[in-house]
Amino acid sequence: METRFQHVLLTIVVSLFLTNFASAQTPPESNSKVKTEFLEVGVSLGYLAIEGFPTTLSKSVNFTLRATENFFLEVNYLRADDVEESTFAQERDDVPNSLETNQDFTHFDLLLGYNFFQGEFFSGDGEANLSSLYGVWGVGETEFSEERRFTTTLGLGYQVAFNRRYILHFDVRDYIYESSLGDQNDTVHNIDSSVGLSYLF
Amino acid sequence: MVTHIFRYFFVVILVLSLPQHAFAQDLSELTLEVIDPFIEVRSGPGRGYPVFYVIEQGEKINVIVRRDGWYEIAAENGKNGWVNPSQLSRTLQSTGEPADLPSVSYGDYLANKWRVGFSAGKFVSGDNSDVFAATLSYRFNTWFGLEGEGGRFYNATDRGSYYAANILVEPFSQWQFSPEFLLGSGKRQSSTQPELPKEDDKNLSFIHYGIGLNYYLGRNFVVRTDYRWSAVSEDNDTVTLESWKLGFNTFF
Repeated sequence: METRFQHVLLTIVVSLFLTNFASAQTPPESNSKVKTEFLEVGVSLGYLAIEGFPTTLSKSVNFTLRATENFFLEVNYLRADDVEESTFAQERDDVPNSLETNQDFTHFDLLLGYNFFQGEFFSGDGEANLSSLYGVWGVGETEFSEERRFTTTLGLGYQVAFNRRYILHFDVRDYIYESSLGDQNDTVHNIDSSVGLSYLF
Repeated sequence: MVTHIFRYFFVVILVLSLPQHAFAQDLSELTLEVIDPFIEVRSGPGRGYPVFYVIEQGEKINVIVRRDGWYEIAAENGKNGWVNPSQLSRTLQSTGEPADLPSVSYGDYLANKWRVGFSAGKFVSGDNSDVFAATLSYRFNTWFGLEGEGGRFYNATDRGSYYAANILVEPFSQWQFSPEFLLGSGKRQSSTQPELPKEDDKNLSFIHYGIGLNYYLGRNFVVRTDYRWSAVSEDNDTVTLESWKLGFNTFF
């Protein structure tokens, strides 16, 4: 019963979307729609300090939708490969198996960002560049050492647009989740400091 | 297997239906005449940037691009700057932006637009899982839309993912706080956390319905909270799970 309803719903949805796609081909009555710059694609490199493990190089990719001058939405995917065992764990015999091989730390999240202070940054030659301090908060998932956990992200960053299309980001983010890798369930904080570059379409 | 194909087909259709105008490269510039006594031009797309120029009534301006809700314009003498949309709105009918008059509702901004965002929340019954989801919806007019949703949930023993297709009805979209009703259906898949003894993965269908509240913050941002009931069918039995979520959406 539920699956038939699902199929009907899916057919309605798909056909409505196809209809919309077809009608979007006809030219609009208004003579033009103003181009909107609102999608940013970026990459970052940084260092991730995983609680209980050595700090590891991190790489991330993100997509940002600029909603208003204050709010933006971001999807972020981060990876730190080959996280080594901490020296503390290397010296002990009672470490569980999952800590003995190098692990990859992967994380993705959906973030809400808020630009606190809009400003202008004056690079030597008198040109003003747009900049702002911003905060991000969001939820996502972290996968590390066979655990996949619900993660809360909290971060602060600073962005400078050094020309119209390219924006430089400096970020510090804390990825917080419950981990049972130690003896009991602990809330772990993993802090990533990174520099990133994004392109605004 | 077939459901996987349906899921990817659904995603592909959604992606292909993205409106072209969001990514169009060369549109001819729009020339407008200032009809207010004057308009203020700022050095950046935000109210924090200083006003450095003022354009008087009767002068012509070229609207170049829109960013962060502000419009970049070029004045007749070549000066470029950013103008608040409400200052420009009475001349802006041909951009497709609704005129910023008191009679224009938040729902009018949403009509024929896509809404995208994410939400996070918790199940209040059953296993109290944490849940988050990404949503993409299309609004056909001021009150009716269709949404695709995909999310994940986690608790101490299980973790899983789900996707759903929803019908959204928002009858009073002219209000800044406006209720929205949701009805949808989907599938959820869950497996045990890896450090626990392995049990079989569960693949279940569900129908959910809910009531939400939209709060419109400006022209392009909506905060949404909702409470929903999910009737999950498992082995000829139906379990109802209740959950709440807080979400943030933008439209384009």
